[in-house]
Amino acid sequence: MLESEVHDLSDDADYAASQQQGSASMMLRSDSTKNSLREDAEIVFTKENVAIHPTQFASERISGRLKLIKQNSSLFLTWIPYKGNSSEARLSDDERNLYTIKAVSFTEIRSIRRHTPALAWPYIIVVLSSGLAYPPLYFYSGGVKEFLATIKQHVLLVRSEEDANVFLVNDFQNTLQRTLSSLELPRAVPIACGPSNLSVDESVLNENQGRADNDVNNGSFSAAQFHGRPSHKVDPARDLSIHVLEKFSLVTKFARETTSQLFRENHSNEFSDRRTHAQTNLDNHRRKSSHVEEKTSDESCVALDSQEFDNLSLVWGKPRQPPLGSGEWIIFLDSEGRVTDSEALRKRVFYGGLDHELRNEVWSLLLGYYPYESTYAEREFQKSVKKSEYENIKNQWQSISSAQAKRFTKFRERKGLIEKDVVRTDRSIPFYEGDDNPNVNILRDILLTYSFYNFDLGYCQGMSDLLSPILFVMDDESEAFWCFVALMERLGPNFNRDQNGMHSQLFALSKLTMPQHIPPTTIASLYDHGTSSTAVPFSANHFSDFNNHALEYLFAMTSPSTPVWPPHSLTSFFIASSADNASLVASDNSAVSFTTIIPCENLIGSANYIIWDAAVKLWFLVKAHINFFALCYFCIDSLKFVALLVELLDSPLHNYFKQRDCLNYFFCFRWILIQFKREFEYEKTMRLWEVLWTHYPSEHLHLYLCVAILNRYRGKIIREEMDFDTLLKFINELSGHIDLDANLRDAEALCICAGENGAACIPPGTPPSLPIDDGSFYALQDEIL
Amino acid sequence: MASRRRMLLKVIILGDSGVGKTSLMNQYVNRKFSNQYKATIGADFLTKEVQFEDRLFTLQIWDTAGQERFQSLGVAFYRGADCCVLVYDVNVMKSFDNLNHWREEFLIQASPSDPENFPFVVLGNKIDVDGGNSRVVSEKKAKAWCASKGNIPYFETSAKEGFNVEDAFQCIAKNALKNEPEEEMYLPDTIEVGGGGRQQRSTGCEC
Repeated sequence: MLESEVHDLSDDADYAASQQQGSASMMLRSDSTKNSLREDAEIVFTKENVAIHPTQFASERISGRLKLIKQNSSLFLTWIPYKGNSSEARLSDDERNLYTIKAVSFTEIRSIRRHTPALAWPYIIVVLSSGLAYPPLYFYSGGVKEFLATIKQHVLLVRSEEDANVFLVNDFQNTLQRTLSSLELPRAVPIACGPSNLSVDESVLNENQGRADNDVNNGSFSAAQFHGRPSHKVDPARDLSIHVLEKFSLVTKFARETTSQLFRENHSNEFSDRRTHAQTNLDNHRRKSSHVEEKTSDESCVALDSQEFDNLSLVWGKPRQPPLGSGEWIIFLDSEGRVTDSEALRKRVFYGGLDHELRNEVWSLLLGYYPYESTYAEREFQKSVKKSEYENIKNQWQSISSAQAKRFTKFRERKGLIEKDVVRTDRSIPFYEGDDNPNVNILRDILLTYSFYNFDLGYCQGMSDLLSPILFVMDDESEAFWCFVALMERLGPNFNRDQNGMHSQLFALSKLTMPQHIPPTTIASLYDHGTSSTAVPFSANHFSDFNNHALEYLFAMTSPSTPVWPPHSLTSFFIASSADNASLVASDNSAVSFTTIIPCENLIGSANYIIWDAAVKLWFLVKAHINFFALCYFCIDSLKFVALLVELLDSPLHNYFKQRDCLNYFFCFRWILIQFKREFEYEKTMRLWEVLWTHYPSEHLHLYLCVAILNRYRGKIIREEMDFDTLLKFINELSGHIDLDANLRDAEALCICAGENGAACIPPGTPPSLPIDDGSFYALQDEIL
Repeated sequence: MASRRRMLLKVIILGDSGVGKTSLMNQYVNRKFSNQYKATIGADFLTKEVQFEDRLFTLQIWDTAGQERFQSLGVAFYRGADCCVLVYDVNVMKSFDNLNHWREEFLIQASPSDPENFPFVVLGNKIDVDGGNSRVVSEKKAKAWCASKGNIPYFETSAKEGFNVEDAFQCIAKNALKNEPEEEMYLPDTIEVGGGGRQQRSTGCEC
């Protein structure tokens, strides 16, 4: 369709239809909608394929036509959904029309917030001066810029000083205040409430049904209750507060971005991969369905829609992707071999790793041996320079005669130690196996040369483990040496005599698992992750801070993974706070009609809530815990279930460790020192390392990986009352049994959710951050070999 | 047997890197030897059930990293130990010289209640290497050192060939048991840990 097509409104069937069906609209009426546009109205902008997502399902979009209409000197905005679009057949006309935006005048628009995520469809949020906001409008055919440019021709449009993506309409004064209010939207009520998604994917229901039965043997679970919620007419008196709506929109947005990103990044593998992935997800779900502590979101189930990629396993760690292959790799390079967008590359490698054939080339970049901006020629040049430099250092020890060595105890001992270790490093890997394997000698030579390159640090056990895959991948002595040097730049402090690097990480680990409430910034950063949009502040108007967090969290959790969540049916919330010891806090319009809250601090840890929504007969279990996120929702009839539910849940791991005097986390020592090298088979280790080396989304993802793995076994650890010894044994024996991809996803989710709070747990300079260089890092060591 | 409370005896193996700590532990517990044991990172342990007359004990044998740089972890791993096994390689003088260091380090980090009488056992390992021709620490020298430290029992072993390992660990278990609080214990006059006669080269335990 032509983008700049000019319509006569009288010919616009959509518009006419919307006029007729206006009574069904749940739009809050603004004065302007009462104005009828006269025939002299001129359409100054038309954009097809602008859509609203009433739910998180990508296929559940309502597409329509966005227009700017000028009448006399006034500008109006309309958005009319298409009729009877086949891909949107699930939505009734009524539902579609709920969202119709009928000729809103720009005099009533306060601001337009623009979101242009790098890897997803751009969208806008229109905020009215009353504080109301429309759901995000997604520009599937692009055109946000032209849209804004057109507006600018007709009304005063000012970019907010506070946020470059916010455009203030008719803003003549007090920009700051306007910006803030446009962001926070206090007192506001929504214009439209999303209809619940009635066509919940069968698999979701079946899965949940299956799990519920599995867990509880309680016949009262009924999928019909998920299905059978009546289609509702919305009572304007039951408006939600706008921030709830906006959050709901944002969650949808997040889902949208995630799915679209997947959609794009997976384009080369298209459908088969999606199917595979979806299947994997379902498998995961089934496999884990007997696990109580699973994260619902982890397996937020898949609407396997043949039209659209509807995978929604989004918020808590994105699905892993296939490794980066050589065809795709070329795209990251310019003609001379520079990596044009290292951030994008790191992100890509983070989510999928590398094809083995690419490791040789990409590892040296990830490790920082070659700069991303270097050309092929520059790398070749550096390679030859570094080769001779390597030979020089190597020559330093090679030229030590046996007579000299006799008087050089430290050298002899160091050499002896290295020789003892290389012959027992990965000898079952073909590359190193067999007697007199030359690669074992190269391993020795590199380590010995390194101990001369960094004499203060010298050699320490574990280094051979770190070098082995690097030599295997680089397959060149000098290149492997320099990549190892780059790695030790970051990990060297782990091997320091006082083990400071290790201790700081183990300490950070203990803090990362500590129970914390999720602060608003965390939620904001969650939404922000992976997008180019700015952080979204959340207002805390109606609730105490503490409870507001829980509320936000509730929404963050429910919306993406539970399509049945009915925000419009809630008139208020009771949030019981374990911090207040079960005091009830109502929202300010405390028309309490339905909610029962059961705090379960002692049984399932702090900041946990079970919320009974009588309107939909759903239990919502909300766990607001940095170490553990779960939202379980069940249809039940009786309170008996709560006891069962509580019984099924564990108290936080941290408290358990504390009680058991295990807070030194020494049982994670091996994981961290050699970066899980002994925990995974060789190929998986290489995959993990390249993922960690991207330092995306954190330099310290390995610590979150520790938390993720511990978290996964928390139930077992506590149930079996493991003491320090048993725990160490248990963790050592996990070797070879850890699901890398699943735990990476959990780790990513933990990292995102921990946000700045997580980062604050990790002191500056903690490996693999580059050390705070005072030039004497290793100098204080003595007696080292 | 089953009616009695099973007791845990914790044993720590210390010694320089590559003297054969992991191998000794595996030879004793699993009766297996591999020359491909990886360098121990952090710590690990194996357990073995041992029987003294009508009582069952669980021997928990801790294998630790040999490089002294990892000693700051010791405090977590050594606590509650009932016996400490010091291992050296009879072919490497330095590993013998370091025994004193390991012993002191252990006493500092584990801080047992009665350090003077805390049970140690010394093992000189790898006596099989090169038919004994490459050996640099004599049995006499080793015994002299053990005597000077309060008559520490001494065994010469080959983890590779399984030589003297069983006997050494019988003695280790027995000594660990002695370290237990007495009120818990019924101490028989003679203790039979399992089959196998005492080997010639063992100097044996004095108990």
